[in-house]
Parts: sequence; C-alpha cells; structure tokens
Amino acid sequence: MADIIMPANMENFDRLMDFIQVEAENAGFDKKLVNKIRLACEEIIINVINYAYPDKEGDIEIKCNSNKDGSGFFIKIIDWGAPFNPLAKPEPDINAPADEREIGGLGIFLVRKVIDKFDYTREGNSNILTLFKYLS
Amino acid sequence: METNFSINYENKVVKVTLSGSLDAKRAPALADEIKKLIGKDIEKIVFFAKDLEYISSAGLRVIIFSKQKIGIDIKLYMVGATEGVLDVIKMSGIDNIMEITDTYEE
Repeated sequence: MADIIMPANMENFDRLMDFIQVEAENAGFDKKLVNKIRLACEEIIINVINYAYPDKEGDIEIKCNSNKDGSGFFIKIIDWGAPFNPLAKPEPDINAPADEREIGGLGIFLVRKVIDKFDYTREGNSNILTLFKYLS
Repeated sequence: METNFSINYENKVVKVTLSGSLDAKRAPALADEIKKLIGKDIEKIVFFAKDLEYISSAGLRVIIFSKQKIGIDIKLYMVGATEGVLDVIKMSGIDNIMEITDTYEE
C-alpha cells in the first residue's frame, strides 16, 4: 500500500495528483483509465483543499492499494475537517442549456461517472472517501 | 505536467491552443485570459486540443464559462481533441454546446 500525507493546499496539488497518477500506472491501468482516476481524485482533493478547513490549516492523506484478487484499485482520501460527504450532492442537469447550467455539481457528477464504487465514512474526526476502480 | 496555452484574438475569432493538463491548478489562468475578452465582438472561440492530455471539471468549466460570459450566440469549436479528452467532454454533456472537429479551416 502506498500512502501520502501533507497539508491540504494548492501548493501540494501537483504532488498529490502525481502520486495518484504513479500509483494508478503501477497498478496497471492504461493511460485513459489513469486519467479518469485522476479526474475523480482531483474533484475530491479540490473539495478538501477548498472546504475541509475553512479557518485553520489541515492535512490530506491519500492511500492507494490494489484489491485482493488484483482486479481493481482502491483510493482512500482522508481529511480531518467537519463531517462532509461530497458525493451526497445532487446531480446537475447536464442537458440544461449552457447559460442555465449550474456549474458547481459537474465535478461530482463526473466522479460518479468514472468510478465504479465509492463509499463515504466518518470515522472519529476524519472523513474517509473510498473510490474503487476495476482494472478493465 | 504543465499546461501551456496560447490565446489569440483576430477578426472576431478567438483561438486558444491547449496542451498538457487543464486542471484545477491551471484552468484559472485560462479563465482570466478569457475574462479579458468579455465585451469584445466575437463570433467564434476555437480550442485547439491536439496536445491536451488531460482535462478535469475545472477545465470544462472554463469552456462553459466562455460561452456564458462572452455570449450565448458565439460558436465554440473543439479541434483535434484526443479520445480521452473527448470522453470527458461527452460524459459531461458539453459536446452539446460545441462543434467537435478533427481539423479547422479558416
């Protein structure tokens, strides 16, 4: 299992994204799927950076590992902010005309589209979001 | 992975050439450049995406935003996008607001 923990801020964004990219490549995903995993993780990471710690500094932790039979890959994204499940947001109307479209929900909509399973748990004072993607 | 983009405005056409990653870190700079065009006489915005490797919702929002802010009647073009980028564009439904082409003729 690979693990990274660092302050949740924009300065660390590239390092967090690079970590996920490298781990997903090592797990055997092709370039297209690696980018889908990056897409989903970016939304969650940005949510943590922007909203988890409104009036203090705080950390973000990411853990990656393959499942037991090697058919897929887990990513856990953890923060210690107020209880928040980003995936509980309603889906946007993607057929709305561009001028009426609600911009904010698009990212979470894409997470739902590209990830095979996800799960949110509040454990003690942490939010744990687990994303799972099958290798093929 | 750095995004470099270039943006050019001439004869009512804005040409934006994208490369690398258009993500939450890099999309704001492009949004800032597009904001500078608000109020100008623009008929088309053409995104050249042959070298764009990755786009996230932050990048898609800049594209949606360009139509919302510059003018709902302008035409958007996405030229030469790779399969992975097109997948994301189609998943998000914004292929409805743009013309997707392999090449662009003046």
